[in-house]
Amino acid sequence: MAHFVLPNSGHNYDPESSKLGMWLFLFTEILLFGGLFIVYFVYRTINSDAFLRASYELNITMGTINTIILITSSMTVAMAITALQKGKEKFAINLLWITLLFAIAFLINKYFEWSIKIEHGIFPGMEHYNGLETGQKLYFFLYYFMTGLHALHIIVGAIFIGFVIKGIQEGNVTADRISLLENSGLYWHLVDLIWIYLFPLFYLIN
Amino acid sequence: MEDHSKEKQHIVSYKENFGTWLGLMLLTALTVAVSVANASLITLTVVTALVIATTKAILVAYYFMHLKFDHKLYRIMLLIITLLFSSFMLLTIVDYLSR
Amino acid sequence: MSESLSTDLNFFQVKKGIISWLFSLDHKRIGLMYLYAIISFFLVGVTLGLLMRLELIAPGETIMKAKTYNQTFTLHGVIMIFLFIIPSIPAIFGNFFLPIMLGTDDVALPKLNLLSWWLYVIGALFALSTLVFGDGPADTGWTFYAPYSVQTNTNVTMSVMAAFILGFSSILTGLNFIVTIHRLRAPGMGWFQMPLFAWSLYATSWIQLLATPIIGITLLMIVAERAFGVGLFDPAIGGDPILYQHLFWIYSHPAVYIMALPAMGIISEIIPTFAKRSIFGYKAIAYSSMAIAFVGYFVWGHHMFTSGMSGSARIIFSVLTFMVAIPTAIKVFNWVATMYKGSIDLQPPMLYAMAFIFQFMIGGLTGLVLAALAADIHLHDTYFVVGHFHYVMFGGTGFAMFGGMHYWFPKIWGRMYNIKIAKFAFALLVLGFNMLYFPMLILGLMGMPRRYYDYLPQFTDLNVLSTVGSWILAIGLITMLVNLINGMRKGAPAGRNPWGSISLEWQTKSPPPLENFDKQPELNEGGPYNYKN
Repeated sequence: MAHFVLPNSGHNYDPESSKLGMWLFLFTEILLFGGLFIVYFVYRTINSDAFLRASYELNITMGTINTIILITSSMTVAMAITALQKGKEKFAINLLWITLLFAIAFLINKYFEWSIKIEHGIFPGMEHYNGLETGQKLYFFLYYFMTGLHALHIIVGAIFIGFVIKGIQEGNVTADRISLLENSGLYWHLVDLIWIYLFPLFYLIN
Repeated sequence: MEDHSKEKQHIVSYKENFGTWLGLMLLTALTVAVSVANASLITLTVVTALVIATTKAILVAYYFMHLKFDHKLYRIMLLIITLLFSSFMLLTIVDYLSR
Repeated sequence: MSESLSTDLNFFQVKKGIISWLFSLDHKRIGLMYLYAIISFFLVGVTLGLLMRLELIAPGETIMKAKTYNQTFTLHGVIMIFLFIIPSIPAIFGNFFLPIMLGTDDVALPKLNLLSWWLYVIGALFALSTLVFGDGPADTGWTFYAPYSVQTNTNVTMSVMAAFILGFSSILTGLNFIVTIHRLRAPGMGWFQMPLFAWSLYATSWIQLLATPIIGITLLMIVAERAFGVGLFDPAIGGDPILYQHLFWIYSHPAVYIMALPAMGIISEIIPTFAKRSIFGYKAIAYSSMAIAFVGYFVWGHHMFTSGMSGSARIIFSVLTFMVAIPTAIKVFNWVATMYKGSIDLQPPMLYAMAFIFQFMIGGLTGLVLAALAADIHLHDTYFVVGHFHYVMFGGTGFAMFGGMHYWFPKIWGRMYNIKIAKFAFALLVLGFNMLYFPMLILGLMGMPRRYYDYLPQFTDLNVLSTVGSWILAIGLITMLVNLINGMRKGAPAGRNPWGSISLEWQTKSPPPLENFDKQPELNEGGPYNYKN
C-alpha cells in the first residue's frame, strides 16, 4: 500500500486559495449590486427630472454622517489586520469591537432615516407615496431596495467580524492563520465600496 | 500565481491606513461641497460625483484591500470585471438613448 | 492529507451509509449525488415534455387545458434549465473529474463544494414545492417576463426563489473550480498542459461567477414587486418592461454558454482518445473557450429583436451575435481535423461525440439564421426557435453529457456496460431526437407559433411526426439508462484504462481510491493529448 503526499492537495491550509475565493465572491457581489445600478441609470436616464426632485427628500447630512462612519470603520478593520500581523491580538480585538460599534451606529442612523420617510408616508402603498409623480416612485423604490440590500450586507459583515473576534480570542485566528480576518476585512471594505457609490447617486444628485 | 504564497506578506503600516482614511475624508468633503454648490449644473455634478467616487473606490481597493501589495492577477481580474460591467451598462443605455 | 489512508479501498467502500454520502466532502461523492439528482430531474422534465408533445399530437384540446399547458411548459423549462442542464456537466463530471484530471485529491474549497450541493437540493425543493402549494406552478414561461410574472396568481415567487438559490449553487461551484484550477494543478502542469475539459470548465466558471448575480438580483426585484406592488417594470409609473428583458438576458444568454462550453470540453476529451491522435490546435480550442465566454456576454440583445428595443441596439447585437459563431466554428474545425486520418474506434462515447458535432452544427447554423435581424422578425415567436434551442441544448449538450457518461462510466464504477446495447440505444436516440425536433424547424418556417397548446390543422402531419419521434427518443433513453444501470451492477471489471487514453484520470484505479491516486500521477510528456501514432 502506497503512502505518499500530493504536494498540491486540496486539504492543505492555503490562505491564497481562500483569498482568491473571497475576491471571486466579491466580484459576484459587485455584479449583484451592478444589476441594480443598471436599473438605476436606465430609469434615471428616462426620468431624470423626477429623480432630481425626489432626491430633495433625502437628508444630505445624515448620508454624509453614514459615509464618514463607514470609511472610518473600514480603517479600523484595515488597522486590525496590521495589528494582528504584528502580533498585537488585544489591540486587534479592540479595533474590531470599534468596527462593530460603527456598524451598529450606521444601522441606527439608517433606521431613523427610513422611519422619518415612512412617517411622511413615503413607502410603497402609503398615501403620500401613491400621490407622487411617476418617476419619483421608481426613485424611492430603488432607494429602499438598494440601501436595504446594503444594510443587509452590513449585518452579514458585522456577524463575520463577530466570528473573527471569537477566533482571535480562542487562538484560531493568528498572525500565521489570518485568512478569516483578511477575508472578513475584504468583505467589509466591499460594503464600504458600494456605499461610496450609493451615497452620491442617491443623496448628491441635486 | 504559483509560488507567491511563500512570499512575505506586506504589512500595511498604521500610518498608511490613516493616510488613506484622510484622503477618503477629503474626497467626501469635496464631493458634498461640489453637490451643494453646483445645484444647477446637473450633469457636471453627476460626472464629478462619479469621478470622485471612483477615486475613493480605488483608494479603498488599493490600500485597505491590499490590492497594491497583492499579486497583479487580482488587479487584472478587477479591471476586467469593471470593464465587463461597464459594457453591460453601456450596451443597455445605448438602447434607451437611441430609441 | 497527513494521515495515511488506505488506497486499497475505493471511494465507494471507505465509508458506508446515507449520512456519509449526504455530508461527504469528497468531490467524487458530491459529483455522484449530483448525477443521481440531476438524472432524476431530467426524467421529470422529459415526462413533462412527452406530455406536451402528446397534447400537440392533434389540433385542439387533446389531454390538457391551455393553462395547464402553460404551466407544463414553464415547469419543463425551469426544471430542464435550472435543475438539469446548467448544473449537469460541471456539477457531475466537473466535480468528479476536474481534481483527478489536474492530478490532485480534491477541489480547493471542499466545504464550499458541499454547500453548493445543499443549495442545489434546497433550490430543487423550492421548485418542486410550487407543484403542491398555492395556485400551482408558474405559467409565465421559464423567462418570468414582467409584467405578466408580477400579475399572475400562480406560484411565481417560489419558482423565482428556486432559481435564485440554484443560481447561488451554480456561482459557488464556479468559484470553487476557478480557485482549484489556479491553485491545485499538479507540479509541472502549466496552463497549456491542462486537459481541454479543464479549460472549458474554467471558461464556464467565469460565466457562472459573473453572469449569475445579475439574474439573482433581477429575480429578487420580481419578488419585491410581487410583495409591494410598485410596478418597477410598469410603464404607468415610468418603468420599462424591456429593462427586465435586458437584465434577464444579460445572464441568460451567457448561461447558454454555461450549458454548451462544458459539453465542448467533453467532446475535446473523447475525440483524441478514440481517434488516437493528438488534438488538432490545442491552443486554438483553449482560447476559443475563453473567447466564447467573453463574446457571449455581449450578445444578449438578440433575444429581444422583436420586443421594442431601439434599431441601433438591434444592429449592434446582431453583429456581435455573428461574431460569437467564429470561435465555435474554430472548435468544430479542430475536432474534425483531429479525426482526419486518425484510427477511429467507433465506441459509444465516440458515436455520441460525432452526433454532437452534427446536431450542434444544425443548432448553431439555425442560430445564425435567427441572428439575422430580418429573418428573426418572422421566426422569433415560432417553432423554429424551439427547434434551434433543442438542437443546441439537447442535441448538443445532452448528447455530450450522454457521451461523457459512456466515456467515464468505467472509471466511476470500475465496470463496463454492454457495448452493443449502448450502440443500439444511441441509434434510437439519434433517430428519435431528429424526428422530434427537425419537423419543428420546418413548422417554424411555415409560421407555427410557439407556446400554444393548439395549432391550425395544416400543421398536423409534422406535429404527429414530431410526437412519434418523442416516443422513439423516450424508448432510446430508457434503453440507455437500463443498460448503464445493469453495467453499474454487474458489468465486467473495466480495469484502469479501457479506452487507452493518456490523460491523468486513467492512471488511477477504477473506481478511484478516496484521495484519487494510489501512486504519484505522471504527466504525459508533450501535453495531455500527445498520442504517439
